[in-house]
This record gives sequence, C-alpha cells and structure tokens, in this order.
Amino acid sequence: MSSTSQKHKHFVAEPMGEKCVTTLPGIGAAHGKRLEEKGFGKAYDVLGQFLVLKRDEKLCRDWLKDICGANVKQQGKAYACLKEWCDASL
Amino acid sequence: MSLFVEDPAYLSKSRLKSDLVAHNVALPPTKSKKEVYVDLHLKHIAHNNAAEFSSDEEDQEEDVADKEEDAEIPDPSCLTDDDLKAALLEHGVKAGPIVASTRALYENKLRRLLQSEGHGCLNGVEKGVLYSDSEEENGEKEDEESGSERAKEETVEQSDQAQQRSSQVESRRSLTTSTDSERELNGSNVQEHWSRSTRLDKPIVDKYTINNQSLYYTPKESPCIRDMKLSQEPVEDMLQEMFPNTEATPTGICATRRRPIKGAAGRPFQYAYPDTPASPTTLERREVERRLVPFQIQILVFVIVACLLYLIYVCVEDYSFSPFVALLDSLDQGSDSEEGPLLQAETQDTPALSGQE
Repeated sequence: MSSTSQKHKHFVAEPMGEKCVTTLPGIGAAHGKRLEEKGFGKAYDVLGQFLVLKRDEKLCRDWLKDICGANVKQQGKAYACLKEWCDASL
Repeated sequence: MSLFVEDPAYLSKSRLKSDLVAHNVALPPTKSKKEVYVDLHLKHIAHNNAAEFSSDEEDQEEDVADKEEDAEIPDPSCLTDDDLKAALLEHGVKAGPIVASTRALYENKLRRLLQSEGHGCLNGVEKGVLYSDSEEENGEKEDEESGSERAKEETVEQSDQAQQRSSQVESRRSLTTSTDSERELNGSNVQEHWSRSTRLDKPIVDKYTINNQSLYYTPKESPCIRDMKLSQEPVEDMLQEMFPNTEATPTGICATRRRPIKGAAGRPFQYAYPDTPASPTTLERREVERRLVPFQIQILVFVIVACLLYLIYVCVEDYSFSPFVALLDSLDQGSDSEEGPLLQAETQDTPALSGQE
C-alpha cells in the first residue's frame, strides 16, 4: 500500500476553507494555472465538481484529465485526497 | 474566458470543447475535426474575421454530422439533459446532475457504452493502454477510454463466466433446475447492472435460494458473506469437494470453523513447536538468570564477607581481648573436636598479640 504524501495529510487534516487548488496533491503549478483559467481556482471548486460527479472515480479522473491534462498518477492522488477529505469531513 | 490576441484556432481541442460547454453550446460529435469546434467557438463566442472560413466548414460539419448520425442513431450530443440521463440509466449508469461541466463527460460515457455495445469481443490488452503516462490528444484519449470501458465489460463477462462455471459444477451435484435458472437470471442481471452494489446483493440472494434447496453451505457467518462477493461460489464448490459425505442438515447450515490460513493475516509460520510452551519473556528471564550468580549464593557471600570484616575490625580496634576471646569461645562451642588444634594455635596467638601491644 503506498503511503500518502505530506500534501495529502495536510489537506485531509482540516477544512479546506479558501485553500488554493494547488494545495491538492497531484495538482502543481501548471495544472493549477489551467484549472484557474477554467474557473476552478479554489480547492472547493474542484470539490464541487467532484461532488456533482457523485464522487465516481472514473468520471472524476476523466474530468481532471480533460480539464488540466493530469496524468493517471496525478489524477489518482487528487481523487484519493478528495475522497478521504469527504469521508472525514463531509 | 475572453481571448485578446489568440485566435480560437490556436487553442487546443479540449479547451475549445470546454469553452463551448461553458457557453452552453451543443458540442459537435467528438470525431469531428478541430475546425468544427473553432467554427462553433467563433460563432457563439468571439466575433472575429475568422468567420469568413465558415462557409466551407459548414459543409464539412454537416457531412460529418450526417456520417455520425448514420453510425450511431441516438447521438449523445443531440439529446437533452433528461434524455441523456435516461439513456445512461438504460445502460445501467446512475448519472449525477447533468450540468454544463458534467455534460461532456456523460456524453463521452454514453458514446463509449454505445460503441461497446456495437463491438462484440473485447480485448483485455487495451486495458494496458489506459495506463500510459504520456499526455494525449482527444482522439487517442477516447480510444483509451473506450478500451478501459471494454476491459471493464470484459471483467464483468469473466465474472459471469466464473459464475456460470460454478453453477455447472453445482448442477453435477443434483441441483434443481430452478436454482440454475435463478443463478442465470442473477448472472444476466449482473451483466446489465455492473455496479458494485448489485454484485453485493447477488451472493446474498444466492444464499437464500440455497437455503430453500438445502444445499451445502459455506461455513462463514452471515456478516462475512457480504465481504465474500463473488468468491462465495468457488468456496462452496471446494467445500463440497472436500466434504462430499456431509449430510444436508435440516436448516441447511453446517457451521464449522475453517482452519486459519498459515502465513496469512499476520499469522506466522511455525515449522516446529517449542519444547516448553513458555512465553518469550520467561525464556528471556531464564537466560539472564542462568548467567547471573544465584541470589542465595550472593547473600551467603555477603554474610561471610561481613563477618570477616567485623572480625578484622574487632581485632584492630579493640585492644582488650575479652570480646575477642568471647567470640573465640562461641566459635569453639560451635565445633569442639575440629577446632581443638586451632584453639591451641589461637591461644598461642593471643599471648603473642598481647606481647606485641
């Protein structure tokens, strides 16, 4: 089982509030910029999309790929982080 | 987003698509060329001189649209939100709200489902294609997604095959036909609804049918069955093979605890049993105690040393010999015969000592 990164732990540990989308694991500066251009500048925007897609893994991964070009690993990290956040705080 | 310097032609296809979606423009069929997207983008969003090219591209667009419509009759991009949702539900996909941002995804999904219906056999090799790290264009991406979709279908089919195989094995053991038909029904249900929840329901439903038929049971308790999912049926067959002579009990339940698997779930292997069933701490303590000097001997040595020191102290400090003599007398009383010569030696010593002082 792979261990979670620091970024993941920091994100999941507390309410996301007004955190920027780049605080999501798997989303770096480049992807963050693209997401911001599309209107998903804050982490809660991505969360919103995630929830609208019923937290379905396939759909969320596809959406991430479409919107910012994240690869499979990055999609996985972001999805796992949001999923855990929802399990903990939703 | 407004574009200041860039033409829409310079944008990527996915970007154009998302822009169109954001402006609630019906997307053209996915296989259409980028120019189609550019054209729509220009028409609805930007007012540029690029609109001059539209006359040629409109014909192209129509041709492509006609081709697409002939290939797939229900074109996802032409459906309304509700129709799209209904179409997805027909294929067993419970879609969430179809909003501007989600519409594209659901359309793609429906297309993949329609394609997978069209294609008969699936190729599991395509699953590997999905996991390439390189970023790809839209066309490639859709092929990969369709591949993954097909792989998913294939796993569902494999699971169905496993179920059918197990059902065949059970029929050999004089199953009634009703159970078989129920199994096949369930199998077909799984094919339609390939969500995990129905898979969970299936083993439980099978359990109830088995109950009525008083067949051999898996010895697991009911809470565990939920975790078993598909593995339920192979386990049942194994047990029937292992215990063919077991009589069917009236309730159909035969609960014997299965031997825990060695080496699994943190149970360590034990190739030889230890001689004494002693805990590790007692073994350690024994080891340590063996090396150290025993306690009683330590006390004895301490007492002897203390006595010796006291005697020496008395000899050195006390110039009057009365306590010393008293001590000697007490010692003499302890053992007479053996210390006879010693006593004489001591009495000789004492005059010598007294002579010195």
